[in-house]
This record gives sequence, structure tokens and C-alpha cells, in this order.
Amino acid sequence: MKEEMLDCLGEACPVPLVKAQKALEKLDAGDILIVQIDHSCAMKNVPEWAREAGHNVEIEEVDDGEWEVVIEKVK
Amino acid sequence: MSDQTTTPAGGSTGSIRRSSRATSRKPKKSQIPKGISALLVIIAIGIALMILVSERVSFFWFTGIAFGFILQRARFCFTAAMRDPYLTGGTSLSKAVLTAFAVTSIGFWAIKYGAFTRGLPIPGQGFIAPISLATAVGAFLFGIGMVIAGGCASGTLMRVGEGFQMQLISIFFFVVGSLLGARHFGWWKLNVMLCGRAVFLPDVLGWFGAIVVQLLVIALLWIAADKYAKRKGADSAH
Amino acid sequence: MLKKFSESIAKNDYYKAWLKDAWPYLTGAILLSVFQIVTIAVTGNPWGVSAVLANWGAWIFEAVGGSVDKWYYFSSSAARETLANGPLRDPGTMRNLGIAAGALFSALIASGFKVKKLKSWRQVIAAVIGGLLMGYGARIGFGCNIGALYSGIASLSLSGWVYGVFMFFGAIVGSRLLVKYFM
Repeated sequence: MKEEMLDCLGEACPVPLVKAQKALEKLDAGDILIVQIDHSCAMKNVPEWAREAGHNVEIEEVDDGEWEVVIEKVK
Repeated sequence: MSDQTTTPAGGSTGSIRRSSRATSRKPKKSQIPKGISALLVIIAIGIALMILVSERVSFFWFTGIAFGFILQRARFCFTAAMRDPYLTGGTSLSKAVLTAFAVTSIGFWAIKYGAFTRGLPIPGQGFIAPISLATAVGAFLFGIGMVIAGGCASGTLMRVGEGFQMQLISIFFFVVGSLLGARHFGWWKLNVMLCGRAVFLPDVLGWFGAIVVQLLVIALLWIAADKYAKRKGADSAH
Repeated sequence: MLKKFSESIAKNDYYKAWLKDAWPYLTGAILLSVFQIVTIAVTGNPWGVSAVLANWGAWIFEAVGGSVDKWYYFSSSAARETLANGPLRDPGTMRNLGIAAGALFSALIASGFKVKKLKSWRQVIAAVIGGLLMGYGARIGFGCNIGALYSGIASLSLSGWVYGVFMFFGAIVGSRLLVKYFM
């Protein structure tokens, strides 16, 4: 079980989503990807994409305007 | 809409087990008092504009506030609506933009048709622009620019409000680009735009035909966007 | 007192649903439409953003010693009057500033505001090129995604649809450039 941090702080759409898609592709089932974002739109579209693709998703509010999207790859 | 995701407001319950966690997590400071102060300043500016300048300017200020607030609250993004189908395969914003087109069209149609039947001047006809090569080139350049800059005109303004330094630069160069475009506008007008024609759909299809055809086209695009996303989703699962 | 008040707000369910969590896109679509209709009903014109930015350019240009007097674009009497009145009395300027202020308020009231510092030179270059392309494109295309596309289509103008098609192609090219050079 691997765990990977992806730093997308300061990045605007669509960079966080595209980076997250690419990073998740390299991981195996059961691995965890943590995407750090501070862009409110990415806070919506990254979890939306991950849930639709069938992965487990959690959002943590780290600070004001800063979130970590925790994605557990399912398949 | 079934594809909407609701996001938990605070820290999660943590059913995904993760080992690393940001160690020095400082307690969050609520920005709500600042938000309330911002609202008071916004109202004060609106009242000041009403007294010192004009009611009209004050009205524009408050509708701007409403547009900015709605765009930010809903994370509404015209750029993503155009870009995501190609880039990420998502179309939920594209569908939302199409919905906005449909609802606004009905409202505008009613206002325009109402004015027409009562023999009044039809409002907003200045937005029926001539179609020429300039429309195509302008829209194409705009499309490239908004994806690279990470936001369209309204989106860039909204992101400036959200605290993006990058968008502060892009709004400045948006202004510079506008000035260049205005400088060359005479040439485009003379050589390109004059060949174009403005088409107001009710002139071609009739008042009822125009709104019916428009809503049908929007509905078909909406269905296409929906099917496209589902197909893309199915593809990426394998 | 304000602090106590805001603490109690933060726990309120309606606050969470209306002011903290992101709204569904559909809610945004409906409310934008409502305010578009309000705008045309009251002012006689739909919502536009980018024409104002050309005026900002003219004001800046004149402030640094330039002159747009002989430019065809600013030659109409309406354009001259707007420029002569200055930004404070230009309704469109106030609306654009309002968009930024409204977004700031929205982010603050949700406790989600953060200054996002520039991360790299690549971001600067993207912002410069993207901004220039949008500005130029908006002027020769008779508007941006709001005035030419959204308000154009809603005004039952064929130009809005043409604009949308070519903007879509532009977005595809932009996406390729973004992935290749700006990520």
C-alpha cells in the first residue's frame, strides 16, 4: 500500500484534476493519493471525478481555503 | 442532477486509513467576521454610489456582487464547460451551462417578444452581433486564452476576488489585449466584419419557431454531453 | 460579540448548506439566469464583461500619456461619453469590480479565502499569453464568454452559437498547449 502526496497548491483548474488523473493512473488498487489544493473549484471537480470513477474519496479542510482530497484507488 | 457531489464542510470522519498527516495542523481561524465586514463594506459602497453617482451605477454594482457571489458559490465556470469534455471527459459543467442558456433564453425571449407585440423597441438587440470571420477568429483565440489562463472573463474577475495572484496578471493582460484589439478594430471592421451579417433567429424562424428550435438544440446538446460523459466514464473504467 | 455570533453561525445547518458548501451547478445555472433576466429587464441590455475591459485599457493608456481619440473603436459618441465620464461613473466598471467583490465575500463568509501566491514563471507566462489572447479575441469577436456567448445565445442571436463552436475548438487547442507547455 503506497501513499502519495500531490502538491497542487496555487494551481488553478484544470491543473489539479489533470495531475490527479495522471498520478492515480500510476498507482495500484488500494493505494492512496492525497491531493493538496487551495482552489475552491478544484475542491469540487477533483472529488466529483474520483467518485464518478468509483474510488473512495474524502475531503479534509486543512486550513482556511486549503483542502486535502484523499482518494483511495479501488480498481 | 444525480452527478452532483456534496462535500463535507469540516474535517472528515476518516474512514480511509492514511499514515501521513500534516503534523503541525494549526487551529483554523474563522473568516466569518471578515466576511460580515466585507458585506457591510459592499453595502456601504452601494449606498455611496447611489447617493454620490447614480442609482444606475449602484444597481450595476449590486448585480455584479450577485454574479460574483453566484459564480463562486456554485464554482460555476464557463471555461471548464468548454474544456473538460476534451481534457478530462467530464461534462457536468457543460450541462449546467446549457441549462443556463435554456432558462435565460426563455426569459429573454419573453421580454423581447413582449416588447415586440406592444410595439416597443426590443431591448438588448445590440448583442445580435454580425457573423464574420472575425467572430470565428475572436472566439477561437478567446478559447485558447481562457484555458491557458485558467479562467474566462467573469471567471478571472471571480478568481481575483478569491485571491489568485496569477489571475491578477491575466486580467491586466486581458486589458492590454483588449486595447490591442480595439486598436485593430477598425481594420477588422473594414476588411472582415462588413462582409458579415447579424442574424436574429426570430427574423428567420418566427418568434415561436426561434425559441422552439433553440430549446431543442440545447436539449440535444445536453443529451449528447450526458451520453459522452457516460461513455468516457465507461472507457476509463477498463 | 461578532466572534460569538460567527461561532454560532458556523454550526448552523442553513449556513452550511447556503454559505459554506459549494452549491450544485444547477443552482448556479438557475440563479445566473435569474440575474441575467433582471439585468436585461432593468437596464435594457444583457450582461457583458469584456467591453468594459477595453475602456479600462483606454483609461490606463491615457493615464500614461497615450491617446485613443483617433481610434475607430472609441469613435462613437457613446464610447466617447463613457471614456470622458471616467471609471467611477461607468456602470460596467462597477459591475466588474462587483464580481470580484462578490466572490471575495463568498469566499470569506465560507471561511475559504486564501491568497494563492504565484508558483512558477510558467504561471506568469500562461497568464500573460492567456490574457492577451482573451482580450484581443473578445474585441474582434464582439465579446467574451458572457457578452458574445451566453448573452448572445440567450438573445437568440446566431452569432452566439457560431462563437460557441469556435470557442470550443479554441478550448481544445488551449488544452493541448496547456498540457504540453504549462503543466
